[in-house]
Amino acid sequence: MFEDFFDVVKKRFNGSDDDYKPPMFKCPRCQDTSPLSKYEELHRVCPKCNYHGRLSARERIAITADRDSFHEFDKDMKSLNPLSFPDYDEKQEELRESTDLSDAIITGTATIKGSPVVMGVMDSRYMMGSMGSVVGEKVTRAFEYATENGLPVVMFTASGGARMQEGIVSLMQMAKTSGAVKLHSDAGGLYISVMTDPTTGGVTASFASIADIIIAEPKVLIGFAGRRVIEGTIKQRLPEDFQLAEFMHEKGFVDMIVERRKMRSVLSHVLKLHGFTSKEV
Amino acid sequence: MFKKILIANRGEIAVRIIRACRELGVRCVAVYSTADRNSLHAQIADEAVCIGPPATKDSYLNMDAVIQAALNTGAEAVHPGFGFLSENAEFARKCAEYGLVFIGPSPEAIELLGNKAAAKETMAAAGVPVIPGSKGAVASIEEAREFAKKAGYPVLVKASAGGGGRGIRRVDLPSELEAQMTAAQQEAEKFFGDSAVYIEKFLINPHHVEIQIIADKHGNYIYLGERDCSMQRRNQKIIEECPSPIVDGELRKRMGEAAVTAAKQCSYFNAGTIEFLVDESHNFYFMEMNTRIQVEHPITEEVTGFDLVKAQIEIAAGLPLKVSQSDIKLRGHAIECRINAENPNLDFRPSPGTITALYMPGGPGIRIDGAVYQGYTITPYYDSMISKLIAHGSDREDAISKMKWALSEFIVEGVDTNIEFQLEMITRPEFRSGAYDIGFLNRYMDKRKAGK
Repeated sequence: MFEDFFDVVKKRFNGSDDDYKPPMFKCPRCQDTSPLSKYEELHRVCPKCNYHGRLSARERIAITADRDSFHEFDKDMKSLNPLSFPDYDEKQEELRESTDLSDAIITGTATIKGSPVVMGVMDSRYMMGSMGSVVGEKVTRAFEYATENGLPVVMFTASGGARMQEGIVSLMQMAKTSGAVKLHSDAGGLYISVMTDPTTGGVTASFASIADIIIAEPKVLIGFAGRRVIEGTIKQRLPEDFQLAEFMHEKGFVDMIVERRKMRSVLSHVLKLHGFTSKEV
Repeated sequence: MFKKILIANRGEIAVRIIRACRELGVRCVAVYSTADRNSLHAQIADEAVCIGPPATKDSYLNMDAVIQAALNTGAEAVHPGFGFLSENAEFARKCAEYGLVFIGPSPEAIELLGNKAAAKETMAAAGVPVIPGSKGAVASIEEAREFAKKAGYPVLVKASAGGGGRGIRRVDLPSELEAQMTAAQQEAEKFFGDSAVYIEKFLINPHHVEIQIIADKHGNYIYLGERDCSMQRRNQKIIEECPSPIVDGELRKRMGEAAVTAAKQCSYFNAGTIEFLVDESHNFYFMEMNTRIQVEHPITEEVTGFDLVKAQIEIAAGLPLKVSQSDIKLRGHAIECRINAENPNLDFRPSPGTITALYMPGGPGIRIDGAVYQGYTITPYYDSMISKLIAHGSDREDAISKMKWALSEFIVEGVDTNIEFQLEMITRPEFRSGAYDIGFLNRYMDKRKAGK
């Protein structure tokens, strides 16, 4: 725990007076720099090119749900390492200590401008947001709760795909979650999926893409297989904007692109249009 | 000397007072809200009494609960710290009513000086230079307009019952006066329950220089040098230093004597601070007087070697001051950086949470007045200050040099802090040269956000 604890001392002291500058953000899309405080003020959107950077699950909940309205489900659900994959338990312990997560998704109930919803938000900091038994179970339970209580579901996805360490169990989650979505849909439920950066692999190929309304943030990566794998398979160059949200929107896989700063209003509007207004308890 | 004192406060000042009590052989009683059960002050005091739920108005501002706690534990005196009930004349009176000694000035002095407009009038009458403006609160917009015209724009509209930087509006043009006055009145009503406002000339780029005074109940008054608190963001102090880089011995003497005159005018006793604004020509003007110990008191203590908090207790117990004005010498230079649990890159948003790891510097000339420990959970209910880091050097350069390594070594994990921001500030050329005025930090923050 204390190996790199003191690195910061040298780093801070050796920043010479002349070039001690306020921290800057370098955008991975446009490579330009802006003051970090500006980037953070916009909730991590690049002020130069509008690239929508990654938010942690709790940060996302904080800017989407009404204040103090989020009540978490299954906070401590942890994977039991079904295949006894080596180093998997250790890796997870490390991540649990360094993030406030016990797996790659947080689910629960909340209200969005008064409309009650079941919300799920994936977090790419936890093993690249990969879906294993816990993500699959939490998503399924969220949809089951929503079905039972007549609530709409809003899912924020961010994933590198299936969790390798759980092998076939991870793959099975694709079917399990899709089944839960279907039952929710058959009961007349509304499901809105919001794809954030990046949404790929088994998550794209299961619950993320079978929503009634699919929203994506601008310029995020949405796909299944990686670009290089596809180019290698079909032996053709792919366009620059391949797998960007705008490309997917053009091809009909995404229904609308919504800026982060408008997301809460748009979600609320959609919910209200479908009759999910604030309920007096 | 008292046998037992109740500390009507929390956080680092409560810990500071506990330490002073220990040195004086006085038993101390802490009070805490349910949210502060695990606070350092509640844990290390000799006794601790729970006085209410987290909300300040139900606990630390709950006069009856505090007094009840004092009576039940047999405390003879109450030290109010700063903020909370420290400048509440009604509380001071209630203490007296129940036979408790209030460690501070008289209720009358608190009342007089707590009304900022009336305080200014009192000072002017005593011959202390004051900022040109209205004499007391203005009764109407026409009166406001008249005073503003006389003082000369720009002017400030300020809440009479105000403090802590609230209820203040700047007016650059006569056409803006009415709207800004209404806004200030509304904010004053909301924060202080009193919408009275007064008009004051706005000095361009002055320094905030305050004089520490202390007086016993036997008519002895001394001043203990000055503190420069111009490093302020939205009227909140961030860095303070003693002595001020723009004050020489002659100005110090004039300001100190003016401060003592001011204190005598109100028959003041115990510790107090007179805040002045000093303009570019080194003219000083009375702004307000704070009738309590201040957050930044440690820098004065380091440079003068005088323990202000112990002296407060001794004075309240009726003891005379042990030193005279000629004994007060300023040795070296001290700087204080306030360490807050906040994120400067997110508009200084407070960052409550659990401190998962904590390492604090020590070494020559370093003093830490803090109230946190590893494993402590900072709650969102109170202010975000978690520690004060003070560096005392042989001169200003030395103090800055010490502060730099001390800040580098101060590590807090689990919550955001402004430590790296403080490093950024003490390495600014404007700070190093001492040429920063009270507008500097706000201007710097605007430029910083725009990426310049």
